[in-house]
Amino acid sequence: MSTLGRILLVEDDPKDVELTLTALEEYNLANEVVVVRDGEEALDYLFYRGNFLRRAGENPAVLLLDLKLPKVNGLEVLQEVKSNDQLKMIPVVVLTSSHEEKDMVASYKLGVNAYVVKPVDFHEFVNAIKELGVFWAVINEPPPGSIKKH
Amino acid sequence: MMGRYLLAVVSIGLATGAALLVDHFHVRDVAVPLFLFALSLTAWYGGAGPAAAALILAVGSFDYFFVEPFYSLNISASDLPYFLIFAAFAVLVTWFSSVRRKAEADLRQARDKLEIEVVERTQQASLLNLTHDTIFVRDMNDVITYWNRGAQELYGWSSREAVGQRSHDLLRTVFPVPIETIKAELLNTGRWEGEVRHTKSDGTEVLVSSRWALQRGESNRSLAILETNNDISERKRRELEVGTLNEALGQRTAELESINKELEAFAYSVSHDLRAPLRHMSGYTQLLKKSTAGLLNEKSQRYVAMILESSGKMGNLIDDLLAFSRIGRAETHKTTVSLDQLVQEVLAEIRPDAANRDIEWKIGTLPTWYGDRSMLRLALINLIANAVKFTRTRAQAEIEIGCVEQNPNQVVVFVRDNGVGFDMKYVNKLFGVFQRLHPVETFEGTGIGLATVQRIVHRHGGRVWADGEVDRGATFYFSLSKSQGANS
Repeated sequence: MSTLGRILLVEDDPKDVELTLTALEEYNLANEVVVVRDGEEALDYLFYRGNFLRRAGENPAVLLLDLKLPKVNGLEVLQEVKSNDQLKMIPVVVLTSSHEEKDMVASYKLGVNAYVVKPVDFHEFVNAIKELGVFWAVINEPPPGSIKKH
Repeated sequence: MMGRYLLAVVSIGLATGAALLVDHFHVRDVAVPLFLFALSLTAWYGGAGPAAAALILAVGSFDYFFVEPFYSLNISASDLPYFLIFAAFAVLVTWFSSVRRKAEADLRQARDKLEIEVVERTQQASLLNLTHDTIFVRDMNDVITYWNRGAQELYGWSSREAVGQRSHDLLRTVFPVPIETIKAELLNTGRWEGEVRHTKSDGTEVLVSSRWALQRGESNRSLAILETNNDISERKRRELEVGTLNEALGQRTAELESINKELEAFAYSVSHDLRAPLRHMSGYTQLLKKSTAGLLNEKSQRYVAMILESSGKMGNLIDDLLAFSRIGRAETHKTTVSLDQLVQEVLAEIRPDAANRDIEWKIGTLPTWYGDRSMLRLALINLIANAVKFTRTRAQAEIEIGCVEQNPNQVVVFVRDNGVGFDMKYVNKLFGVFQRLHPVETFEGTGIGLATVQRIVHRHGGRVWADGEVDRGATFYFSLSKSQGANS
C-alpha cells in the first residue's frame, strides 16, 4: 500500500476497488491511490491513528468516499472531515450507488465538494472515475498541506 | 286619612238626621241605637281614631238634640251616668269591631299570601315538568318527595309511583365511589357531581350524569336533596366507539408507517445493494471483452454483448423503478409554475435527440399553474418523449401540445401525436407499471414512463387518460386541480 497516494479511496467492496483502480490505471493514477476499507480506517488515516500512526504528514489531494460503509459510514466520515480545521480543506467526492435524495442533501449540507452516482454502465463508470481522478488529482490545485504531484 | 274622619262625621251626621226625622214623627228612643250603629260602622271601616272622633260627635249630638235641655250641651248631673254608660258601650262596640276587623284583615292577608305562593309553586312545578332533564327531590332519608315528568320519561315510573319510595332502592343506584364519601362531600360543600348507574322500571340500565344540590333550612339544617340527572348512556357509547375507532386508526397508521418505512428501506437497499453487483457484472464483462479482444469467435463475442446489453437494461429498470417509487414517497414542493416555460424547457432537452427527424410541432398557450416543478417537468418529458418515440415510423410526424379546458379549478393539458397509436381495448393497461403495448424491438423502454406520469398527476389531485386508435395516433390528457393555497 503506497503511503504517498494523493487520492484516498474509501470503499468497502473489493470489486468496486478493483474496477475503480482499473479505471484509474489508464491515466497512471492507480499507484497514487490509498485504499481504506471502512470509515474507521479512513479516519485513522486522516488523523494518523492505528495503522497510519507513522504515515507521511500530508493530506490527500482528494477523498473519494463511498456512503455505505461498515463501522463508520460515509456521512459520518464527511462530517468529521468537514468539521476539522486541518481537514476541512480536503476536497471530498462522494461516490455512491444510490440516487437517494436524502443522502445527497445530507452530503451537500455537510459541505461535500461533489456527489457522483456510480453508473451501472462500465463505460460511463470508467469515464466518471477517470474524469474525477484527473480533475481532482491532476488539474485541480490542491489546498496547502496536500501531497504534491510527483 | 281624611276620608276615614270624614266617614265619622258623615255617619254621625246621618244618624243625627235620621234620629231627628223619626223624633219628628214622635217615635221615641231610636236615637241611641242609631248612634251605636253609626259608631260601629265607623269603627269597622274607619278604625280606632275615627271611631273615637265619632264617639265624641255622637255624645255631643245626642246631648244637644235629644237630652233636655234641648239645644244645649249642658248635662244635668242625673243624666251623667246614662252618658257614661252610653260612652262605655260605644267604646266596647268600637273595640270589638276594630279587633274583629284586624283579625279579618290578617286572615285575608295570610290567605292572599298563601294564594300567591300556591300559584308560584304550581308554576315552578310545571316549569320543572317542562324540562327534559330528570329532576327529583328527596328528603334526608332519601325518600322521594318530588318527581318531574323528565324523571317519569327516563325511568318509567310516574310521580305517584315514585314519591314516597327510597330513591336508591327504586333506581338500584350504583355509585362510582362509596356513598359515605358522596354524603360527606354533599354536606361539606352542598353539592355533588358524578356519573351513576340506575335501573329503569323496565329493568334496563342507564348511565346518568348526576348533580346533587343540598337544600338547607334555618340554622343550617339539611332539608332535602335536589337531584338532576342526564342520560349519558348514548354519549358514553359513542365515546367508547370513537375511542375504539381512534385506537384502530392509530394502529392502522402505525402499521402504514412501518410499511412505509419498510418500503423506504427496501428502496434504499435496492438502490445500493442491487445496483452494485450489476455494476460489477457489467464492469467485469467489459474487462473480459477488452482482454479477449481478437481471441473470441463471433458467437462468443455476441454472448458477451448480450450480457452487457442485459445488465444495462436492468440498470435502467432499477433506476426507473426507483425514480417511480421516489415520486410516491417524496414530498411535493409546490410553487407557481409556468407550464409554457416548462414545455419549452422539455422541448429544448428532447429536440437534440430527434434532430434527424422531421417533426411538425404545434404548441398552444398553457397557463401558469400551481404544482411541483420538477415532477411536472418529468411528466411532460415522459409524455413528449413518448410522442417523439411512437411517431418514429412516420415520414412527417406531428406533435401537438395544448390545453383543452381551463377554469379556475382545473386545467387539462394534452399531448397529441400522429404515431402508431394503440388499441382502445388496452387503454386500462397503458398506465400500469411495466406495461408495454409494443414489442421492445420496435420501441424501446422500460414500461414505467406512463405509470410515473399517472403518479405525478395523482399527487397533484388530477387525472390522466388517453385516446387512441391503432396506426392513427394517440392523445394523452392530464388534469391538474387547483390546490389549496394556490394563487394564480
